[in-house]
Amino acid sequence: MSSIAMLVDTSKCTACRGCQIACKQWWDLAATRTKQTGSYENPRDLSPETWSRVTFNEYEAGGKLQWLFLNLGCMHCTQAACVDVCPTGALQHNDTGFVSLDREQCNGCGYCVEACPFRIPRLDVVNTLTGEAKASKCTLCQDRVTNGLTPACVKTCPPGALQFGDRTAMLSVARKRVDTLKAQGVAQARTYGETELGGLGRLYVLTAPPTAYGLPEAPEYPALVNLWHNLAQPLGYAGAGLMTAGLAVNWLLTRRARLSNVEEK
Amino acid sequence: MATITMPLAGVRGRQVLVVRFTAAERAAHWVHFVAFSVLLVTGMFIYLPWLHAFAGGAAGEASRLIHRGAAVLFIAAPLVYLVFSPREFLYSLKESFTWGADDVGWLKNAWGYYSQGKLGTMPPQGKYNSGQKLNALTQIISFGLFVITGLIMWFGKGSVPSNVFLASVIVHDLAVIATVLLFMLHLYLVVLHPMMRESITSMFEGTVTRAFAEEHHGKWYSERVLRKREEEFDPLSKK
Ligand code: HEM
Repeated sequence: MSSIAMLVDTSKCTACRGCQIACKQWWDLAATRTKQTGSYENPRDLSPETWSRVTFNEYEAGGKLQWLFLNLGCMHCTQAACVDVCPTGALQHNDTGFVSLDREQCNGCGYCVEACPFRIPRLDVVNTLTGEAKASKCTLCQDRVTNGLTPACVKTCPPGALQFGDRTAMLSVARKRVDTLKAQGVAQARTYGETELGGLGRLYVLTAPPTAYGLPEAPEYPALVNLWHNLAQPLGYAGAGLMTAGLAVNWLLTRRARLSNVEEK
Repeated sequence: MATITMPLAGVRGRQVLVVRFTAAERAAHWVHFVAFSVLLVTGMFIYLPWLHAFAGGAAGEASRLIHRGAAVLFIAAPLVYLVFSPREFLYSLKESFTWGADDVGWLKNAWGYYSQGKLGTMPPQGKYNSGQKLNALTQIISFGLFVITGLIMWFGKGSVPSNVFLASVIVHDLAVIATVLLFMLHLYLVVLHPMMRESITSMFEGTVTRAFAEEHHGKWYSERVLRKREEEFDPLSKK
């Protein structure tokens, strides 16, 4: 389990999107041209140039319309399907538990994109025919946090909705905040990420059910990834092993029986 | 009276030779062999965690590219076969899907035959023995699976639903496992097994000795080789 974590307190988020910009600034990601589609949310999706963004969600409860903001990026799962399917070791759990990405190692296969239950990693496809591509995603600012700094988005967040530190400390901050919110009458306040997929490295304080934010209520490790690793791979090893053994025995027996070609009989 | 078992395709030493594979059949076989081997090796870099050193960075990009190139060859091989040797193609295809009591008997006795040379227990075989048919059948069915799942992974990445993609990887892997196991057996029998030396020569030269044809492919020899010769046989011709 991750020993460091980022905490997203949605009750404090003002949707200024400073986090989005700081992320682009630190990682030198290009701005993208977008279209106004009737929402302040912008851009409307993650992309190879947008590794973290704020989603704007309208939620009606008790006859009242609420506007919910969510800072979204890699969840840094403990049971990370992307790490398991990555054939190159480009995606890995750092010693402190977050999911790092070595873009030099990435060969562009895109398995991580298909495996992620949160649909976070994105593939920058250069050429479909040759398959040339690179995956990208939020790495919790791996270069910064491994050098004692906070992630760029956390550093910039004006209302202090984003915090970063020791995971246990973040958890207790989150729980305390939930208690405070409940005391203030936010009945649906809760944490998210404490135990999901073995515990997330991006923790949340939510003021409404996860689904109201577009988060899965109970994110699941993809069943097909399980099948792939626990069926296809062991089956291959077992089959090849048995076949090799059988052929070796046969070979020894043919020696003993001095079998030969019909031609030489 | 002339005998119908006269020289059919030349002689090797004192052995009479009969034609077993046309040039197109042999070409298709070897193109398939090369493409399959390359696909296998480049695929393994991704499949086997301990080969991941070859899967990353520039090496990984190259092996994925080579996998795609070999896939084109892989698809081309049976087309070469179909276009240049359509009769044999259809005959072999039909054979691969024709299974009967002789095949059950053959498979049951195969171990004794290939480990102790127990003769007389093996039912007569057609152009392909039951083991070769099993290999061909697995290759044919897997070919369909490889092409479908491979093209989904190639061109459908990002546009097909994730579960379709992940299922394609699994089916691709199962096809690899099925074909590789029979490929190992096939390689062993033709390269290492002392009783099958002629099999591999025939895939290079196109011919086998009559003795080999009679012992290993009796049904084919009497029903096809012999009959064809008999049909063409004209004792009065000047040849
Ligand atoms: C028409 C034929 C084929 C096509 C189009 C094809 C295509 C692909 C593609 C697109 C991938 C995904 C990786 C990537 O994007 O580069 C892949 C993976 C793979 N292919 Fe193929 N392939 C074909 C035949 C074969 C054959 C004949 C074998 C082996 C005998 C093979 C073995 C593999 C393996 C082992 C993987 C890795 C799967 C994993 O990650 O578990 N492929 N193939």
